[in-house]
Amino acid sequence: MKHWEVMVGNKAVAYAAKLARVQFISAFPITPQTTIVQYLADMIAKGELDAEYVTVEGELTAQTAALTAAAAGVRAFTATSGPGLLYMHHPMHATSGARLPVVMAVVHRSVKGMQPDHSDMMAQRDTSWLMLECENSQELLDTGIMAFKIAEDSRVRLPTIFAGDGYILSYTAEPVEVPGQEEVDAFLPPYKTTFPLLPEQAEESRRWLMEQWGVGQDPQLRWKRQQEAMEAAKSVIKEVNEEFGRWFGRSYGNGLVEEYRCEDAEAVIVGMGTIASTARTAIDNLQKQGKRVGLVKLKSFKPFPAEEFQRIGEKVRAIGVIDRNISCGSGGIVFGEIRNSLYDLDERPKTLEFYAGLCGKEVRVEDIERMAEKTLKVARGARVASLVGWV
Amino acid sequence: MIEVRFHGRGGQGAVTGVRVLATALYFEGKFTQAIPMYGTERRGAPVVAFLRVGDHRINERDLVHEPDIVVVLDPLLGRMVPVTEGLKEGGLVLINHPRSGREAGLGGRFKVATVDATNIALETLGRPITNTAILGAFAKVTGMVSLESLEKAVLKQWPGRIGEMNVRAVRRAYEAATEPVDVSNVEGVKVAPPRSRFERDVSSWRVFRPEIDEEKCIGCRRCYIFCPEVAITMEEKKAKINYKYCKGCGICYEECPVGAVSFTQERL
Repeated sequence: MKHWEVMVGNKAVAYAAKLARVQFISAFPITPQTTIVQYLADMIAKGELDAEYVTVEGELTAQTAALTAAAAGVRAFTATSGPGLLYMHHPMHATSGARLPVVMAVVHRSVKGMQPDHSDMMAQRDTSWLMLECENSQELLDTGIMAFKIAEDSRVRLPTIFAGDGYILSYTAEPVEVPGQEEVDAFLPPYKTTFPLLPEQAEESRRWLMEQWGVGQDPQLRWKRQQEAMEAAKSVIKEVNEEFGRWFGRSYGNGLVEEYRCEDAEAVIVGMGTIASTARTAIDNLQKQGKRVGLVKLKSFKPFPAEEFQRIGEKVRAIGVIDRNISCGSGGIVFGEIRNSLYDLDERPKTLEFYAGLCGKEVRVEDIERMAEKTLKVARGARVASLVGWV
Repeated sequence: MIEVRFHGRGGQGAVTGVRVLATALYFEGKFTQAIPMYGTERRGAPVVAFLRVGDHRINERDLVHEPDIVVVLDPLLGRMVPVTEGLKEGGLVLINHPRSGREAGLGGRFKVATVDATNIALETLGRPITNTAILGAFAKVTGMVSLESLEKAVLKQWPGRIGEMNVRAVRRAYEAATEPVDVSNVEGVKVAPPRSRFERDVSSWRVFRPEIDEEKCIGCRRCYIFCPEVAITMEEKKAKINYKYCKGCGICYEECPVGAVSFTQERL
């Protein structure tokens, strides 16, 4: 039976892991992720969740233990934030390399301070993990459940991050609908590994992995296979999102992006996470004034939905990208991906870059209104001093 | 949508209080957001939390800058923090203060209601944790939430004996809260924020005040060693408290082997 509860974002994450019936959890506490593992430890202690909880001495081991458990054939979960995620970087490549569907919650914390931005996750951009971003606690819970189904799909078989902004979501309490266990069980069947470490299947498993890795044929093959899996993940994410909607009455755009009030829009802004949530109010305010600017919420950062932005880019005259991250020396990472997607269009829209919310700087409704208005001005042909702005 | 800002001190339970209130309002069919501001606060330091109440899912993820209501969990906080900043004209302040709304040190184009939450908390809980008492008064003066939903939310947060003690605090405060009064012609106490983030005047944090009886003091230095704020000095083999640095934690009172330290409630 489903029920509603006023809870913080971290509890929504813990609920996702519980409803997914994770069998193995290893995590090291770090602010603002800490209460996730506290809630889970509590659920295990009370007998509500039948999982092995392994305390570890750091995140490197947390990731290694999770990947090992997944290889052994159980559903494994971990969670971290900021510097903890950086410390996991090395074994994260091993997890995706071994094609193990570990699911990890990332509670964003800047790598240059305590407060949130997306720099922690962006530093893992090239680890071949799927990365799904959430704007509220309900979406964290729902995406957590979907993440297991996506990661474990035989066409994907890649580890998956689902993420939300630390503090802003992790500690804010709001009503969340918790689906019933029976429905989640029907939606998400138990995990079956391709290659359990059981003696009778060891040979078969070894052969599958050798094939994936191109051992004895082509050493590049492991990357090629991961790239193919990432491409395949795009349709898997869409399918799972749609199926989730059928089961639970909620879905998130098409799973990759959500277009909010983009019909007849001359320009759109793009945001991820809680910025996309606040942006809804900003867009509502502007459209009330007759300003035709919409919002594209980027939900799947990896795989990056280039085709979606090509489709959107053909309709609008300007796209303003709000990045809660920066790769110093080049620029906003989402901005780079979007501009890259648009290059081959015959008629490209203008692109604007905004840096906002770095190191937890507050992003107010008015800030987003200003960014959206500037994007709209550029769409209408106005010349502006700079297409890059620090908000 | 109604927006509320809570001011309290670390240890008064502002964050938990906002969460309990969000739950109570949810029981009445409202959509809520209880937002704490976390930093590196310690017990006694000023803290802020926010509440948004609406009929639908709330999308704004920024902080509350122009509240409709301000709730202050501590009587002296208004001297350090501009608690009414951004408050909408005609808005409401509910403050933990033993006297009436016109004597609470706040003036401006808003109304002030008071409740002596510190003493209600001391009498019902035995500790100056003022969050549940202030919520009882909130229910009374705003009419936004029923006493019944509030008590249900309190018991959900603390099932059992602790919850029942807090329900008593809620009920007492509900009865004791004063009517909001206009303070547009009252001159408020001037806010003196710390000159720098490192200034250590913590005298307004005290609920209780330690006093050393020099006659009884044997100069053992135990209080001097254990004082976490380095507020005690030794002068001619007698302990002496520098009240600017004393936050009233009571460790000296607990540690003194000869009972030379008294610990009594500060008078406002």
